[in-house]
Amino acid sequence: MATTPSPQDKVAWEPRDEMTVLNKDARRLDGPVKVTGRAVYPHDVRLPNMVYARLLVHPAPRSKLTRVDVEPARQVPGVVYAEVLKSGGEEVLYQGDDAVLAVVAAETPEAAEDGVRAVVVELEELWPPMVTPEQALADDSPKITENGNVVVAGTRGDQAEVEATLGRCDAVVEASYSLPVQHHACLETHGCVVDFDGEKATTYPSTQMVTGSTGMFARELGISRSDVRVLTPYMGGGFGAKFGIGKEGAVASEVAKALMRPVHLMLTRPQEFLMAGNRSGSKQVMKGGATKDGVFQALYVEADKHGGMGRGSLPTPPYIYDVASNASTIRQVHTATDANRAMRAPGHPQASFAMESMVDELSYAIGMDPVEFRKKNLSSEVYHRQLDRVAKEIGWAEHEHRTEPGKVDGNVRVGIGFGVSTWGSGGRPGCKCEVRIEADGSIRSSVGTQDLGTGSRTYVASIVAEEFGLELSQVEARIGDSDLPPSVGSGGSVTTGSLAPAVKDAAHNARVALCDKVAPVLECDPDELTWQGGKVYPTGEPDRALTWKEACATVGSDPLVAMGEFQPHLHQGRVHGAQAAKISVDTLTGEIKVLKMVTIQDQGIPLIRSALRSQINGGMVQALSYGLLEQRVHDADLGYMLTANLEDYKIAGVQEIPEMVAIIDDDDTRQTVCGMAEATCIPGHAAIANALYNACGVRIRDLPLSADRVVTELAKRI
Amino acid sequence: MSEPLDSGTPRDTLSRRSFLKGAGTVAAAGGVLGHPAHGEAPAAPDQDGPETIEGTVEVELNINGETVQVEVEPRTTLLSALRHRLQPPLTGSKEVCDRGDCGACTVSIDGKPAYSCLQLAVDLKGKEIRTIEGLGTPERMSPVQDAFCEHDASMCGFCTPGFVMATTVCLEKHPDADLDKIKHEISGNLCRCGTYPHIFTAALDARDRMREDR
Repeated sequence: MATTPSPQDKVAWEPRDEMTVLNKDARRLDGPVKVTGRAVYPHDVRLPNMVYARLLVHPAPRSKLTRVDVEPARQVPGVVYAEVLKSGGEEVLYQGDDAVLAVVAAETPEAAEDGVRAVVVELEELWPPMVTPEQALADDSPKITENGNVVVAGTRGDQAEVEATLGRCDAVVEASYSLPVQHHACLETHGCVVDFDGEKATTYPSTQMVTGSTGMFARELGISRSDVRVLTPYMGGGFGAKFGIGKEGAVASEVAKALMRPVHLMLTRPQEFLMAGNRSGSKQVMKGGATKDGVFQALYVEADKHGGMGRGSLPTPPYIYDVASNASTIRQVHTATDANRAMRAPGHPQASFAMESMVDELSYAIGMDPVEFRKKNLSSEVYHRQLDRVAKEIGWAEHEHRTEPGKVDGNVRVGIGFGVSTWGSGGRPGCKCEVRIEADGSIRSSVGTQDLGTGSRTYVASIVAEEFGLELSQVEARIGDSDLPPSVGSGGSVTTGSLAPAVKDAAHNARVALCDKVAPVLECDPDELTWQGGKVYPTGEPDRALTWKEACATVGSDPLVAMGEFQPHLHQGRVHGAQAAKISVDTLTGEIKVLKMVTIQDQGIPLIRSALRSQINGGMVQALSYGLLEQRVHDADLGYMLTANLEDYKIAGVQEIPEMVAIIDDDDTRQTVCGMAEATCIPGHAAIANALYNACGVRIRDLPLSADRVVTELAKRI
Repeated sequence: MSEPLDSGTPRDTLSRRSFLKGAGTVAAAGGVLGHPAHGEAPAAPDQDGPETIEGTVEVELNINGETVQVEVEPRTTLLSALRHRLQPPLTGSKEVCDRGDCGACTVSIDGKPAYSCLQLAVDLKGKEIRTIEGLGTPERMSPVQDAFCEHDASMCGFCTPGFVMATTVCLEKHPDADLDKIKHEISGNLCRCGTYPHIFTAALDARDRMREDR
């Protein structure tokens, strides 16, 4: 329901308890096309006269090319184009997009693959392959970046002072924690379709940045940005990996220019693993100390980020916790592998695993309840109520052993662990939204944003429906088209904070404009109208209502068009969350089964509650997956990636999923909006590792928590 | 996927092994499969029977109740035939791994779930193939599809058609399936967004709705 508006009023979100569309569960607008297979993703685009292109990506990390010959590929039936992208005499410097040696385009995907197989490559592989941190750190290793293999990214604090404080602590824990490189593993691989006629182009990339992709294609095609249209109504997962158009977008553009035919170029699944992004791995050596009163007094950290050719990500210790005396050094250790990319809360799951493990170790070391120890060392009251809530939901108070672990006796033991999360989120200018109302009652909300599966398409409509007291289904949402008003890219959970205020502003402006049209008909003041239940009436006189259609008839022959833009006061940054995990571990075999996970997450106004719960659950699933299963593995001698497909790179499946409880933190009464998706994947794996310790006293400091690691540690405790 | 297609029963085509023998030259029983559409004339049958076909053949497929002629290569998977050879193409079945890891291309063949990336199109003459497009439309969704919408069981949506197919076939075979049974039957499918708990709820709800309709 929308109450009396006034053109002078500053646009503001309605009180939550008066909302009729927002702050409710909602069926997503794109649900029906997705569940029936009608949604056309970039992979599904079929254009007349289209060719299929495939890349030749050599799996060796470092090599000297002596010959790349595409002539045999050109002889393959169906192949229409084959070009060398890296020639004999050149070097491959690292695994991934630097090893894209050739491209072949053909009438069918199979023929393109035949063509790729026919390309003759001769090269000398360079040794050592430099794919592991150990190889990068060895004294006699070749330099693989201009700045060497190790770059100090930042130091802070006074190590001597920290050591002195540690000397006064009752408990000191020294430990090294490590996390492997993780892959985004988007189910739709990277790629695009490029349709270029020599002057204008329509492109269909699988992207998390519709508006911004125009410039990238324009550069590659040598045309102006206004001559590029990007269409991505649906895309099959991003998680941070799909911002640029990538090497694949550049090559597709080249082929399209050469052939003047639409080009469909998608990475294969192994190529997706080799060159389409990853979360940097990490090794964090820590020394932490606490006093018996439960104060985390001091922390010293030496951390390495394993981002391949990239810089890696890791927030500065002590991360979320308050540790008065702290010092740290963070280094980048480079390997000859593809650069890390943003991945859902870059750096945070890594920092969280080490810090939450250290916090847990200290709490047990001083014999304090790990929930109480956390609360003692977190200044924000938000975390206190959130930890209490998840502790209640997971059954912590009833749990048998809270300050010491369970026994290793060959039986299945149950344990509970915790972790907290944070994320900056926020929003920024850049989104513009158009609300258009026609005399026949049709109303649509348009913005060139993208929906990665978060539900953004749906709230682009539901915010407008709320404004006019309509049903969600009455408002059409148009997104995924760069010809629509611009949107920011979807990274850092800024989409909601940037986009929703612009939609709200447009909706407000449209309402003010429509009030001006309707008021004379109802013979009342424009700011004395109430929009409710698909009707509009002078406030307090519902029997004088016009139906929505009747109200729209006042619009006249030209549509009513209102624009909106980012309004800073409608958003905020900073979200908080807490998670708990309950697991069982077979102390004979080391098998872990996650029984239950609970998350509470704040985000200001919940726009679509059902979509929020989906995000929370999705974050928990990804954390569980990272904790138990995921790791990129290289053959250290040959340099080849051993996990470049979904049977060797395991992600959580149906059978790994525990009971999950997603709690929207309704005690967060901020009357603003904020994205929250990234925070939800941060502490789950740490909570599981802490639950393992609680269950049986086994502390695994290296992810994933595989049964072999657990059973090895169990053996030490018998 | 819980169980393979019938194996061990005589096929109306020749063995898969002979298809896969060698690269470039592929043996096929042309008389059964159809006639060569392009490429060379069939070679004379060798003494053991099978004749060799190069290029493409026409195969008759029964997809979503319609009989269609599709020109395929002997090595063309059902997934590729659906997505690239049919006119108009059926792109609801997704290609994610193309090697039987993820279930995004799940279809039903004679009422059983199958990864279409692991089926050769030429093998499927006479089989009843159902794809996601055959279950319902956005305007008239099947109970499973509607339940997926109701319980927010789809985020990016790329795995969704495969999960809808797997769930549908599961509930057709096991109308009284409990959650453990459902999990077992759909455990060949992967989702990266983490919609699983919502899929479970949707599947149970769809089961109840389908029971009421019985």
